[in-house]
Amino acid sequence: MAIATGRELRDGELAIFGVGLSMLAGYFARENHAPSLRSFTEGGVFGATPVGGLPWGIECTRISSNATAFTGAIDALGCLVASGRCDVGIVGAAQVDKFGNVNTTGIWGEKLPKNTFPPPKTRLNGSGGANDIACGCKRFVIMAAHERKRFVERVDYISSPGFLDGKGARERYGFIGGGPSAIVTTLGILRPNPETCEFEISGWFSFSSPEEIRKYTGWVIRLGAEAALIPDPSPRELAILRKIDITGALRKS
Amino acid sequence: MSSEIFNKLIRLDEAVRRFTHDGQQIATNGLPVGAEPVAFARELIRQNRKNLHVVSTCASSALNLLCGAGAVSKMEGGFSGLEVFGFSNGIRRAVESGNAVWEDYSNLAMPLRFLAGALNLPFFPARICIGSDIERRALGDNTGTPKIPRVRDPFSGNELGALSPLSPELAVIYVPFADAAGNAIILGSEWCSVELSRSAKKLIIVAEHIVSADCIRQYPNLVRIPAEIVDAVTWAPLGAWPNGSAGLYDADDTHVFEMNAALKTEAGTQAYLEKYVYPVANANALRECIGRERIARLVCTPSAFLADPYRKWILPENEIERLIENSALTQKNI
Repeated sequence: MAIATGRELRDGELAIFGVGLSMLAGYFARENHAPSLRSFTEGGVFGATPVGGLPWGIECTRISSNATAFTGAIDALGCLVASGRCDVGIVGAAQVDKFGNVNTTGIWGEKLPKNTFPPPKTRLNGSGGANDIACGCKRFVIMAAHERKRFVERVDYISSPGFLDGKGARERYGFIGGGPSAIVTTLGILRPNPETCEFEISGWFSFSSPEEIRKYTGWVIRLGAEAALIPDPSPRELAILRKIDITGALRKS
Repeated sequence: MSSEIFNKLIRLDEAVRRFTHDGQQIATNGLPVGAEPVAFARELIRQNRKNLHVVSTCASSALNLLCGAGAVSKMEGGFSGLEVFGFSNGIRRAVESGNAVWEDYSNLAMPLRFLAGALNLPFFPARICIGSDIERRALGDNTGTPKIPRVRDPFSGNELGALSPLSPELAVIYVPFADAAGNAIILGSEWCSVELSRSAKKLIIVAEHIVSADCIRQYPNLVRIPAEIVDAVTWAPLGAWPNGSAGLYDADDTHVFEMNAALKTEAGTQAYLEKYVYPVANANALRECIGRERIARLVCTPSAFLADPYRKWILPENEIERLIENSALTQKNI
């Protein structure tokens, strides 16, 4: 999953990384195929490569130990992200729907009536910087474990906007960024249909299949026009991933 | 030179007594498990403050603890989690039970709201938060004045979201270094501290180290909060613990987990408060409670070199005590 996300990042781009899998994917990309990928965190930490394992948080000393600039939220999330300058961001999701809308705020387990805000059954973390990334970055990649409870027809709460209710919606709100370009899951990769903005199967891992992806997706998901098997990680890619995640804390699939 | 400054040093418990009250709107700085005034939160709990309205870009251990202890009734913020350490159980319990409410914004929306407050602007125009449920779902309802109303850009005619300004009654900002007047130097991410400091009606600096004024005059470009806007300065060694403070100490991983696990239940919270909050009323007690060995391990951080340029100006405890005795705030008893 980290390798598949890393492959989404291109050399020379300006990227914002969050903590956890997102950072693992980002540093993997830089080491593997994108040596001039430029990155920063939403805390405004620039130029840092984590020491002694990946950081547990944006302000972890593992990422404060060799930075070249410390700024702040308005600089990182504002001047570089909400402005439209940043090429790509990576966000996580507790729930994601067929239009790539992301919920990281709470689980209500029911459709909420308009203009109400009852306490959630489960309070999650809130948007953090993901809303700003989803609105401003030229594109963003969503990472989520592929489970039926997560891949839903409609998220309980839109924390970070994908294509909202479909084609043209982002333009209606005047978002500067282009929206989600991929959902990388534990089973494969989904991409938006250019006509409908609905996410389709773009690829599956060797241990998965389109049927498996359908089984764990809560909407009727179509097979994309160019859907194909995703190449397995090469020995080189695996070696690089292990090197970056020294402690192994974040290595998943 | 040092004798000329307007000395505002005051003990932490005295600062809480004088500057806080039940029902107050309080803002804190900090990233999750980063440098923030956790010591101040523990003192708020010791003084049994209730019904607080906390506005913060990111919640972290301080708000988690305050929420767990039942001191908070309302929060506004962008993020309530502890990153890789998981969900904040104290906040979860308070919000899910309905004992406290959380109004959601994003991590950029909150600093922009502080900036609007700091500039005394009626709103801040933004292309974030609109279109999502952050705009649509508001505490109470959204039928009167909406949470993020639309405004028209007079130049292009396009619509934007209007973020409401924030001018908290009190901001409490943790910094690694400040002089007795409140000139403050930040290490690591500044996050939202600069605009937050300008937005608040009252500002308390919680400093890990008090440095001499000569340090400030050596690095005036690095002073991000000038004394002129500071109301009081408190000295709080290990004031961010169990969080980390760049250049000074790492986060106490084991304790962050232990504390968060305790906050999951009311009984766990009570036991935690009785062990780590109520009896730990000053810096020495906190050092005892954390333990010498653990402190030695935490301060051995790979980021320690960041603090090196400032170390020679750090004032010793007896000098700080003398400054507190002679402080303008102590003497005038204002």
